[in-house]
Amino acid sequence: MSQRARWTIVIVLLTPAVVLPLLVGIYARTEPELFGFPFYFWFQFALIPVAAVLTTAAYQLTKHEHPPRSRAEDQTESIR
Amino acid sequence: MSGVAVGIFVFLFLLVTVLGFAAARWRRAKDLESLDEWGLGGRGFGTFIAWFLIGGDIYTAYTFIAVPATLYAGSAVGFFAVPYTIVVYPLIFLFLPRLWSVSHRHGYVTPADFVEGRYDSRPLATAVALTGILATMPYIALQLVGMEVVLQVMGLQAGADQPWVVQHLPLFIAFGVLAAYTYSSGLRAPALIAFVKDTLIYLVIIVAVLYLPSQLGGWGHIFDTVTAGFTDFNTQNADAIAAGDAAPKAIMPPEPLHWAYASLALGSALALFMYPHSITGVLSTRSRSVIRRNASLLPAYSFLLGLLALLGFVAIAAGVKVANPQQAVPQLFENEFPPWFAGIAFAAIVIGALVPAAIMSIAAANLWTRNIYRAFINRDATHAQEAKQAKIVSLLVKFGALVFVLALSKDFAINLQLLGGVWILQTFPAIVAGLYTRWFHRWALFAGWAAGMAWGTWLAYGVASPVQAHFGGPLVNFPGTETKVYIAFLAFGLNLLVAIVGTVGLRAAHVSAGIDHTRPDDYTADLGDTGVEAELSPEGAPR
Repeated sequence: MSQRARWTIVIVLLTPAVVLPLLVGIYARTEPELFGFPFYFWFQFALIPVAAVLTTAAYQLTKHEHPPRSRAEDQTESIR
Repeated sequence: MSGVAVGIFVFLFLLVTVLGFAAARWRRAKDLESLDEWGLGGRGFGTFIAWFLIGGDIYTAYTFIAVPATLYAGSAVGFFAVPYTIVVYPLIFLFLPRLWSVSHRHGYVTPADFVEGRYDSRPLATAVALTGILATMPYIALQLVGMEVVLQVMGLQAGADQPWVVQHLPLFIAFGVLAAYTYSSGLRAPALIAFVKDTLIYLVIIVAVLYLPSQLGGWGHIFDTVTAGFTDFNTQNADAIAAGDAAPKAIMPPEPLHWAYASLALGSALALFMYPHSITGVLSTRSRSVIRRNASLLPAYSFLLGLLALLGFVAIAAGVKVANPQQAVPQLFENEFPPWFAGIAFAAIVIGALVPAAIMSIAAANLWTRNIYRAFINRDATHAQEAKQAKIVSLLVKFGALVFVLALSKDFAINLQLLGGVWILQTFPAIVAGLYTRWFHRWALFAGWAAGMAWGTWLAYGVASPVQAHFGGPLVNFPGTETKVYIAFLAFGLNLLVAIVGTVGLRAAHVSAGIDHTRPDDYTADLGDTGVEAELSPEGAPR
């Protein structure tokens, strides 16, 4: 996988972790409840492991990155 | 207050005191006489230590007191701390490894060091450094507020009839001890104490969220009680609410406050890793992958924070009645836990104040030493002189915070903390944009910073609340609308606008942009690359 493709996937993985918590309209409601928790609360709690899984996946993808020996080889300088 | 609780509290406090002093010998370097050692713990912390250190850094005692307090008080947007700490980690994942790399290559200790190297602009670096110090001071002061609330509930604070010194004696002792071991051990002290702090906090919260609801009829019952209580309040105070003399209570933001909630979360997340203490934590790590792995592990704390926030509701359901909402959770522990466990819980919060207070004072001392002392006072400072200076300043900063809280009102500290978030976000364009591009002109960034600082402060000054004429809250109407948003966000928008327009203008006028001392591959350098380790030796670091 090229560096560029790898970084595109990383961005795609991380975007929902940033955007979903900010879309308040989709979760500021009471129903359906779960274990007595209004939807508003349990949904935000549920987002935490979701974000953690996405960030872990992004970490696994970038774990073996090796800085290129010469700058010319790396097309993704602006993002790494 | 029982002797058992106080005994356990004192025992745990003594334990961390011993650890704090012993930390000077932990992962021992040849000597502590450089900022890389004293101020960044040798820049060698791995994933495990960094997790505790950064966690201890971000989730402070004040957070543990203030977040449940806002829910207890019925603030509709109080739970924003949870989305805020979800959003922050992907951002850390993306931005901070680049800052880590360039800082390692060039021996940068503070974000202002980076700005100076990148933009060749001392005014901009000084602006970033002063903003950092200014924003950190009230944050340290608030750790004291958090500590004092616990001491009051424990009954360790003498009454107002006692002489002033006697009244605040426990606080003086706690802070004196903290100052002493921070002085001698540097960043190693909070790193080691953070293990105890977080173990205790996790223990207390997990027990609290399992045990307390079972005593109070379950979570469903708790939420029902709280909702009913808030509805009663709103009905009884309908006239005052309509007149703007009281705020309606709610458990979640109604539609008009959705943007307020989202902008508080995003604005705080962007501001968080601009704070000097977060950057100090991140720069103390061993490699880029330590930062990224931690970005995927630190959300465990967010879960904890969410549960803790809900203790504000538990306190309502348990019938805790306190005039100061900040006492709600300590009072809940006092009422519902057996004395020995209450002692552990109180120790957890107080130790939770010591860790961030230590890191913040180190971060502020680093900024002072590198970007004021070395930039203006002693340009040829040796590493030993820098370390000496930083140690002394760390004492002064803590002493200043103490005076702050005791001499000025606590509300003043809280107002300034609110402003601190607004201010620190104004360093974002210079730091984060600088990690990716040199397009922005140094003077345009400076003008943007000044505009954002001025407008943000002005907006915050103009916010009235039912109890305060100024600095009444973090929200204002977006210009031309009735939609409330976070002030920091608006000021940040103006900042960016000025920086963009200014850059276009200054470039057209061919005003000198200065020399960039960094190279593109500096931003991706990792452990083991040329120049990453070598430059950590005192001789190798650029002067």
